[in-house]
Amino acid sequence: MLPAECSRRLVAELRDALDSCAERQRQLEQSLRVSRRLLRVWEPAETPAPEPTLGPEINEEAPSSACPPSPQDLKELELLTQALEKAVRVRKGLSKAGEGVKVPSLKSGSASTATKASAPPSTSRCTGSRAPETKPPRGVHHPWVPAKDLPGHRLLLVGDGAHMGQGAGANKTEAGLRDQQIVPQAASQVPEAFTLKDKGALLRLPEAFRKAASQNARLWAQLSSMQTGDSADAAAAAATAKTQFLQKMQTAAGLPGSMLSTAEVGRLQKACSMLRLRMREELTADPKDWMQEYRSLLTLEGLQALAGQCLRRLQELRSAVVEQPQGLWAEGAPRAALPCGGGADPVWSPQLLLYSSTQELQTLAALRLRVAMLDQQVHLEKVLMAELLPLLREQEPLGRPWLALCRAAHCLLCEGGQHFLTVLQDESADRLSPP
Amino acid sequence: MGRRRRRRPDPADAARALPEAIAALSRTLPAAPSPEIFRRAKFDRPEAAPALWRLLFRVLSPLPADGALASLALEAQARWVKSALRSQGYPRRALVQLPDEGSQGGRELLLALAWLLARGPLPERLLTQSHVRLGDEMPVCEALASPGLPAPGVEAEGCVDIRHLQWLTGKLRLRWRNLMAGQQEQCALLGKIHSYTRGCHSDRSLGHLSVTETELLRDPEGGRQLLQLLETENARLEAALEWRRRELVFWQWMDTVLDACSPEDSPPMFLPRIPEPEAGVAGLLARELQALQEELREAAEARRAAWQATVGGHGPEWRAARRALQAAVAQDLAALQRSWEQDEGRARPHGPHRLVRTEARVPGGPGLRAAEVTEALRAREACLEAVLCQLQGQCRQELARLAGARPGLIWVPPPTR
Repeated sequence: MLPAECSRRLVAELRDALDSCAERQRQLEQSLRVSRRLLRVWEPAETPAPEPTLGPEINEEAPSSACPPSPQDLKELELLTQALEKAVRVRKGLSKAGEGVKVPSLKSGSASTATKASAPPSTSRCTGSRAPETKPPRGVHHPWVPAKDLPGHRLLLVGDGAHMGQGAGANKTEAGLRDQQIVPQAASQVPEAFTLKDKGALLRLPEAFRKAASQNARLWAQLSSMQTGDSADAAAAAATAKTQFLQKMQTAAGLPGSMLSTAEVGRLQKACSMLRLRMREELTADPKDWMQEYRSLLTLEGLQALAGQCLRRLQELRSAVVEQPQGLWAEGAPRAALPCGGGADPVWSPQLLLYSSTQELQTLAALRLRVAMLDQQVHLEKVLMAELLPLLREQEPLGRPWLALCRAAHCLLCEGGQHFLTVLQDESADRLSPP
Repeated sequence: MGRRRRRRPDPADAARALPEAIAALSRTLPAAPSPEIFRRAKFDRPEAAPALWRLLFRVLSPLPADGALASLALEAQARWVKSALRSQGYPRRALVQLPDEGSQGGRELLLALAWLLARGPLPERLLTQSHVRLGDEMPVCEALASPGLPAPGVEAEGCVDIRHLQWLTGKLRLRWRNLMAGQQEQCALLGKIHSYTRGCHSDRSLGHLSVTETELLRDPEGGRQLLQLLETENARLEAALEWRRRELVFWQWMDTVLDACSPEDSPPMFLPRIPEPEAGVAGLLARELQALQEELREAAEARRAAWQATVGGHGPEWRAARRALQAAVAQDLAALQRSWEQDEGRARPHGPHRLVRTEARVPGGPGLRAAEVTEALRAREACLEAVLCQLQGQCRQELARLAGARPGLIWVPPPTR
């Protein structure tokens, strides 16, 4: 058994690591849920009254809000219905022209993949409902009802054409089944259920959102330029006033100012890792001529000097820390929440990461996680070393408990907790060795 | 709006300036109390204190406020704020001495807030933290996930067996594996969504929609909420801009607040230094730096020795070349040093980037390329693996030494994989 303090610290560290992992997992699962749902058939967000069978199946997350369709929506729907009627007429014409018509589908090449809506019921419904309905149909709040500027019917034709290709072998999805269930009550609605794959390119962001988003970008840009362009008088005066205020606070203060501030420690940590990175570069490089050799030598010596400087600075800071007697400050000061790199830009600015294939993205993401995991592992290794090695050194190596501890420590420290070594007691050696 | 006023300052203007500045501050900070509270705080009125404690808590906590944090009792929040301020180097002792139950000290709290505002771009940082992300974001570099607040339910555990630690380690490994598998799936889904929505975005440089944007189209209710968040953020951004324009008068006012406080006693006589636990962050770092220095020393000495052995063979051009090399290396190292000394790491972009799927191979266009980031990550991966290996090697040596002190034992290492 490990002593209490040591136990507490180690368990706390491991728990932290587990918690941060769990948090990532939680976020990932949420993203997965959302993404999976987007790639399935989209359910309409509202359930109008006369269709009770649909109630529980509709999107359980968003509360279905029944709001009457606006005149605009009705108008659009009318346009849409007319377009569909035309589409049906043209489609009939096309089907007469021949089965082998190649219709460019929207995204994926094959028409057979456009199986989401079942063709036969949709056709029948389409022909059945010529007149625009006044009852709020299912699809009315689909914002992807094409805006007037889109050549809506042409695109729909393409979509419909894609459905042509499938015959009786249509895979009916749940949406298709549902459609069939409600056929008797069906209002005239968009017959094909929406999938991102087929009709993703039709989507358009709503106007209000676009406005807000562009204003958002504009305001951030303004804020950013205000940060960097500090030449304005007002800004300069404010900066001076702030510095003076801080100084005044310091001199009127009751506590010593120099503290082992988390920022300083962060900076030194960064220094350490940058030095190490650079050292690795130098050590793995292969000098081709004596000049490179000499340069490498100078660099290593320089790095050594810098490391020494950092160490001295750290030691200075630590010795300057005057801890307040316990009880004055809350227990457990919050650990440094270092932002990425310790020096993140305070003002957000749009930054893009461009990728060209799913493979590339997956590689990137996997690497990122691996680096995070390694980072955590290194940290845990250091903590374990700091706690366990002294313990082993102190204890008298008597008997089994120490051996067991040693073996377990070896497993944790040297094998990442994965493999154990075996300890054999050599009886014969004991007997032969001098007393 | 930006036109500079040239007329003589109107006294009515001056009288309005401070309340407007404070109003702007109140509008831009999250969960900030009304401007009236600020004024009351100057006069140390009791109703000001709780509101300011909560504000400080909100402002200092590294994670955006969620239900769990916000529901912490005022007392707990006050204690946490004190601790957080101290760890940032806050100089005033009076704050520490305020009662935890949070009913007093409006003026001190106001000073603390002003101190935080003076030290850095606080409103901007908070806005960045809570910025509504419209794209699919991927952080480019990973910082060690910060534990943030100590979990309220943490009990002081008794002694544990080392096997418990082994079990926890195994659990951790499993979690990472699951995480990685899930991540791969998510990337595949993202790739699909991005390619299916190509051509939809009004912003040509983006080209396709993100999950957030597509989701708002699928779910209009969610879309309305998102829009609301965006509009709130816009309001806060405008308030931040206004604050920046008007803040001078606030600082002039804070001077008066500081003067109203009685000066604190000089620092107490030498306090006994409680040594920081060796496993503290600084302790670890010190050991790391020491180890690093040692490694560098060994490597440098070896090379220096090798160099001395061959130096005789170099011609007269040696002296000039040497000077040039020394200068070059000095510059190199100075740049390296700058990279951690300066606060802004502008050389490498940090933070989350919006993922954009594109076929374009425009070099020098805006945005990072995935290939570059991958390369950088590989380098970092290699470095970390080396560090881990080296640490494990160190442990192996140490344990072997300890075990070797005890004769009669044979250590059979596990088979190398």
